[in-house]
Amino acid sequence: MTTDAQILSALRSAENGGVSGAELAQQIGISRAAVWARIEELRQLGFEIEASPHLGYRLLDEPDLLLADDLLARLGRTKVIGRDIRVFAKTSSTNDVIEKLARDGVKEGVVVFAESQTKGRGRLGRQWVSPARKGLWFSVLLRPDLRPQETTQLTVAAATALWRAIHEQTGLQPEIKWPNDILIRGRKTAGILTELSAELDHVKYVILGLGLDVNMTANEFPADLRKTATSLRIESGKPVLRAELATAILRELDRDYARVCAGRFAAVADEWEEHCTTLGRSVSIHVGDRRIRGHAESLDEDGALLVRTEHGHLERIIGGDVTLDK
Amino acid sequence: MDIKDIKAIIDLMKKNSVSEFELERQDFKIKLKRGGNGSSPQVQYDEPPALAYLPTPQALTAPAATAPLAAVASNELEVKSPMIGTFYRAPSPESASYVEVGSEVNPDTVVCIIEAMKVMNEIKAEVKGVVTQVLVENAKPVEFGQPLFKVRPA
Repeated sequence: MTTDAQILSALRSAENGGVSGAELAQQIGISRAAVWARIEELRQLGFEIEASPHLGYRLLDEPDLLLADDLLARLGRTKVIGRDIRVFAKTSSTNDVIEKLARDGVKEGVVVFAESQTKGRGRLGRQWVSPARKGLWFSVLLRPDLRPQETTQLTVAAATALWRAIHEQTGLQPEIKWPNDILIRGRKTAGILTELSAELDHVKYVILGLGLDVNMTANEFPADLRKTATSLRIESGKPVLRAELATAILRELDRDYARVCAGRFAAVADEWEEHCTTLGRSVSIHVGDRRIRGHAESLDEDGALLVRTEHGHLERIIGGDVTLDK
Repeated sequence: MDIKDIKAIIDLMKKNSVSEFELERQDFKIKLKRGGNGSSPQVQYDEPPALAYLPTPQALTAPAATAPLAAVASNELEVKSPMIGTFYRAPSPESASYVEVGSEVNPDTVVCIIEAMKVMNEIKAEVKGVVTQVLVENAKPVEFGQPLFKVRPA
């Protein structure tokens, strides 16, 4: 952990509200002057740190910023995800950054956040609006020992992890739309795009890209999205501290990734099914120029959607655009 | 026969260490082979499979139907799908296709995307050469191991 991360961690866990410069210096193994200099740096970044003669340094307020050190300090220990965190002020797309790291042979678990993306994207090149500091746009590099066909388990796992983190941090009850969109009151709040590099029988790497509308207000959405998209702030009525939410998501992702890798996908899938509101609904699916209409009956063991068509056939859906009919 | 049945057969093959399975009916033939080291089964069809979706008339007249595996010229290589999914020839509907017949490719050239449940798999040519055939139509379902392109190595 870096010095800044250690200082923030110590300030947050200070029992009587403060920690003295001497204690900090001793804990971290640097001089008191160095502690003072680091505290000044943190203040420059927007952390409100009070220095009182009796209580020492106290953390009064934190900026809604994503800082790699801060995220590491909040995250604590995880098995794989978040061992290395990098934050970019602006990039084309965090998936692009991770792809470069993957090709350079970087170990799995690295997470790249961007405060804004110029080319945030969804499925099939669709644009993902990612305004500065309003959401969480990040990607995770994984190198699972799975066959290409099994990587759909990871998109299911990502959706359940995201569901738990949002629920825990905001108290909201999101819904999962098959396969892994997160909706609140029927409006999209988060999307997951997974990119895979694989050979015929093994996975080289998987890039899990997550986009989450956190603190956008209604008028910050483009007009054409206002009826179909929403943010956690709009739904919960208050702003959300993104660093706290981000680390909650990474912790849950780490947990579900471990479950998938240990062959316990069935447990993840049960949880997913519990929150998947697509089941029991009338749906339309567009695949290329083909349209399938029917009733979403159930999920099979791989997470594919089984749809009873108008003609009475049971079709196994693994892709395409799914629309929930009213 | 649908995908469930095939999976059931594969599972039975695994359980009983059966390495080869062949079934022939009037208009359908399937052959399954497993590697000896427990690797995943290779599926070979004598007909373009349309198992995940109902077959459409177009699918049956797709080039794949006229190019049975046996007829592959020995000097041409096939780019195969590593997973069941939907085949996309371009990164977005508005974009140009990654490759066309006649395109020169390198091992790292992306030739298409296979999607399954929002997992987008960029398929690379894995060989240097020239694309001689596109075997699947855009946005159609493909099976594990199904040939997607033919490439004449340079």
